[in-house]
Amino acid sequence: MATVSYNKATRIYAGQERPAVNELDLQIGDGEFLVLVGPSGCGKSTSLRMLAGLEDVDRGQILIDQRDVTHLPPKSRDIAMVFQNYALYPHMTVYENMAFALKLRKTSKAEIDRRVKEAAQLLQLDEYLSRKPKALSGGQRQRVAMGRAIVREPQVFLMDEPLSNLDAKLRVQTRSQIATLQAKLGITTVYVTHDQVEAMTMGHRVAVMLDGVLQQCDTPRALYDTPQNVFVAGFIGSPAMNIKTVPLSEQGASFAQMILPMQREQIAAASSGGGKVTIGFRPEATDLVGPHEGGLPIVVDLVEDLGSDANVYGHAALDGGSERFVVRTDRRGMPSMGETVFIKPQPNHVHAFHATNGNRI
Amino acid sequence: MTDVASTDTPAGPPVAPAPAAKRGGRPDVKREVGAFTGAAHLALVLWAVATVGPLIWVVLASFKTNTEIFLGQPFALPGSFALDSYATAWNEANVGRYFLNSVFVVLVSTAGTMLFGAMAAYVLARYKFWGNRFIYYLFVSGLAFPTFMALPPLFLILRSMNLLNTFTGLILVYIAYSLPFTVFFLAAFFKTLPREIEEAATVDGASHTRTFFQIMVPMARSGLVSITIFNIVGQWNQYLLPVAIMQGAGADSKWVLTQGIAAISVSAGYQANWAALFAALTMSIIPMIVVYAFFQRQIQAGLTAGAVK
Repeated sequence: MATVSYNKATRIYAGQERPAVNELDLQIGDGEFLVLVGPSGCGKSTSLRMLAGLEDVDRGQILIDQRDVTHLPPKSRDIAMVFQNYALYPHMTVYENMAFALKLRKTSKAEIDRRVKEAAQLLQLDEYLSRKPKALSGGQRQRVAMGRAIVREPQVFLMDEPLSNLDAKLRVQTRSQIATLQAKLGITTVYVTHDQVEAMTMGHRVAVMLDGVLQQCDTPRALYDTPQNVFVAGFIGSPAMNIKTVPLSEQGASFAQMILPMQREQIAAASSGGGKVTIGFRPEATDLVGPHEGGLPIVVDLVEDLGSDANVYGHAALDGGSERFVVRTDRRGMPSMGETVFIKPQPNHVHAFHATNGNRI
Repeated sequence: MTDVASTDTPAGPPVAPAPAAKRGGRPDVKREVGAFTGAAHLALVLWAVATVGPLIWVVLASFKTNTEIFLGQPFALPGSFALDSYATAWNEANVGRYFLNSVFVVLVSTAGTMLFGAMAAYVLARYKFWGNRFIYYLFVSGLAFPTFMALPPLFLILRSMNLLNTFTGLILVYIAYSLPFTVFFLAAFFKTLPREIEEAATVDGASHTRTFFQIMVPMARSGLVSITIFNIVGQWNQYLLPVAIMQGAGADSKWVLTQGIAAISVSAGYQANWAALFAALTMSIIPMIVVYAFFQRQIQAGLTAGAVK
């Protein structure tokens, strides 16, 4: 049970100018499930490893439960970590793998036995306790790795892409298992993933990172509804938001033949963008309209039938260039490839960003 | 495969040429592979004969009399399989004592080599510190250093330390002599072990020492076993170093086996007891075969399977 704070924590790798993690400020509440997400190389894993004590902190501080752990070794931080490739000890049985950390802490044999059996039950590993990791399936190994963390009863769980080695179906299953488990145990968890679906479905809050800088940290819903900049807007949501930079007019953004209305303050804020504004509209907040309703005509390149609905990918000539668009549509109105359809963003669901600095306005 | 099956079933004349062509094509590939493996097998058989031949000759000769040995029929069976020559070698030529000396020296020095070699290799392979590469290359350069060139300084150093003609001296020299290759080999091996396991142990609260002995060493077992065999055989057969070091007053009671065997051949001049020499040789070979057979089973591939992924 603990809070975690990053106070301007910075990590600079030797010989590199740009910090891998740049002045990260992040407060994680007691019992919270926080997901760090971002493209590869964004510093999310480094941030986690800084918290684990596997990576030095060059500047700033890291606190666990108000205690400064910045320069403490991993074993003094009371954390447990689940690694991407599980990192099980190959020569030990499942039981020994889980008991190892407890043995090092001189926990009594009876207590070790109790905790390991309990974790095994929780993770349905009872019958595999005497097996070695190589005799387990990928999903079982993943559970052993979880078990090894659980028996520790640590203050913080750290998970570094624990699902990325599982196949798609198992990943979805395990995803919900981990979330349920975390809710049950109530242990503060920091979870790293590059998969925004995982981030959105599991996290109480999600921190989006890019190039070592925290872009936005908020609930999944807030990230989806009010992304703070163009990167977050494009990263969260699948398929990605349609983002275009278009001319700014007095009433709003002029997109093709349409004027997407903006509020006066927004227009004022956008005016320093050189007469341009960046707009974004999600595929699911875009309608297919009839030929004479003022929509933008696009030529359909690809239709993804998802069963419940369909994603329509297409391109259109806009301001002299060819631009790509995605629209999510009802399955019944599904166009076919090569057809021309007309799209129209729902005016209440258009996001506006500054054309040069990319911040939400 | 399905292709062949489908063309084979209709046995009518019109389709006959096609499968014939196919049949002509496919076995060709097979024959090429066959020719290659055949050649490889032939080479291996020749090699095996070349290796085993002298061994059989040695064993046979150990049962023969001096006259039988010089008959010019190396693979002829001896008149009788009496163990007299073995008894002679063991008792009169002191092979028994030398044998035990060798066992003691090799046991201690191999253990030392493995302990220090593994620790040094682990640190050099997995820790970053200033001078790491320098130390590593210093070890590796030891591989290129000719033993003969090392003898005079080695002799002088040992003499100044009063370690000449002592087992301690010989063992230390064996360890130093074996370290370069051991470190070179094991460093490469330790590098291949996944880093996450080490990190997992660190997070679990294991110290560096514990991580090494309880996690990394068991994972490196196959590499450690291979290099142990290599060191045992190498140190067992060592002749030059003991000749240089085990000398002086009363040295012949501390000789190792190789020196003892050499002594048999020179001690009696023209009247050398060749059968006893061969008996001693046979006795020196047997432990190595036993060691090899024992450790061979320990080398199992895929010891790290299941650790990651």
